[in-house]
Amino acid sequence: MKVETHKVARLHALLWGIFSLGGMIAAFLLPVMIYMTAIAYPFGLWPFSSPSGCLYCPTRDPSFLVTGHLLGALFIFVTIAGSLYHGIFRFQTTLTELGLLKYRRALEAVGYFIIFVGIIVLGYYLVAWYLNGTIA
Amino acid sequence: MGDAKRYPELRRRLSSGWWTANRHYTMYMVREWTSLFVALYSLMFIYGLSLWATGSRADFLNFLKNPAIIGFSLIAFVFTMYHAATWFYLLGAVAPVKIGRSRTKPWQALVLNIILLIIISFLAIWLAVLR
Amino acid sequence: MVVLDALNYIKAEIDGSLTYRWSCRMGVCGSCGANIDGEPKLTCASFLHDFKGRTITIEPMTHFPVIKDLVVDMEDFMEKLVKIKPWIIRDKETPPEQGEYKQSAQELERYSQFSSCINCMLCYAACPIYGLNEKFLGPAATALAYRYIEDSRDQGKDVRFPIVHEMEGVWECTLVGECSVVCPKGVDPMLAIQKTKILGATNALKSLLMPRGGH
Repeated sequence: MKVETHKVARLHALLWGIFSLGGMIAAFLLPVMIYMTAIAYPFGLWPFSSPSGCLYCPTRDPSFLVTGHLLGALFIFVTIAGSLYHGIFRFQTTLTELGLLKYRRALEAVGYFIIFVGIIVLGYYLVAWYLNGTIA
Repeated sequence: MGDAKRYPELRRRLSSGWWTANRHYTMYMVREWTSLFVALYSLMFIYGLSLWATGSRADFLNFLKNPAIIGFSLIAFVFTMYHAATWFYLLGAVAPVKIGRSRTKPWQALVLNIILLIIISFLAIWLAVLR
Repeated sequence: MVVLDALNYIKAEIDGSLTYRWSCRMGVCGSCGANIDGEPKLTCASFLHDFKGRTITIEPMTHFPVIKDLVVDMEDFMEKLVKIKPWIIRDKETPPEQGEYKQSAQELERYSQFSSCINCMLCYAACPIYGLNEKFLGPAATALAYRYIEDSRDQGKDVRFPIVHEMEGVWECTLVGECSVVCPKGVDPMLAIQKTKILGATNALKSLLMPRGGH
């Protein structure tokens, strides 16, 4: 009788779970993040509007999110790390569906490397700014 | 049980243009490509922070005001909103809630989650910037 | 009149060698699947008046090897159905004198939708992931596995989970959703696959947090 062996892809299950979480983050938190940095701040809209109404000279700016402000730093970290993870995980899958199935291992390696480096760098910057107000 | 490879020579291979075959497949591919813009925006933002780290706060702010960066971010914004909309719809499709005898439909989850998104966005601005 | 009637007409009057599968002609046996104008459909459930004035193309279901004309090789599909052990698995069978395993209406409702599958394979014809990777377990097999996982009489989770949670099990699925769109019985295999993924992720998390712990 043929004995079947099935290897549960436990690691992949966890990675998929994180990807799902990243999808929630990208859907609920990334829009407001992009709004703040690319629409509100450059065009002087709320919450970065300037009193005289001039463009490009608001009284606050998105760097305020980062320096010494724990909630702001956490918000940036969760949003960017989650979105980066989700985006790369999913795009790597999309590339395999477009005929690059053979290169799946290589794509995964590159993808996880980018995620790893990106999150480490992001975390380092945010922690350094929060603790010092500047990068050491 | 027969030999699973009885007719190997007649197996038709899927070409890499499979997603152009019908509208559903094409919309699926557009939906998946939103992930590229989500990832690229994140990497771009980290790069912007690195300008501050190696330079000054003004470098970061100028980076945000750069027209090319704004242009790309606006495109990323459109794709991110499309990701959010399709994600909410999928949530409705894979997690229907039983209310009495009937189940919720995906479009209802879409509407509900868009409202939630607006609330969370205001909360995020209040907590992160205005407090 | 349906496409199947057209096929029968062609075989009777024009070309007797035309080869295709059919049986019940009312959408319950699952034999007559084909690609009609690129869409996987049952030929007995596709009305000719929907195609009025057009020339339609009828092809064998995509992603399967073709034996002849519209007849495809079902071996891979049959193997996958058997692989997930589509029967009630008990730790210990109770003797017949003790009566049947009781199940409430609510317990039945948890899985009855997924037991409606007629094994027509339209979902496999619609799934591009299966087309790209024939090792993928696929919609119908996963829906059937989920039907047993959710059946309160079944105690075979330990046997079935390794099968659905291996890499070629549910993890290949990226929610294209075409399987649920083409299913003629409303089984919604996409829902079954997604719920199985969630079970897999929570199991993996549990085994991470409680290595020696319970299920």
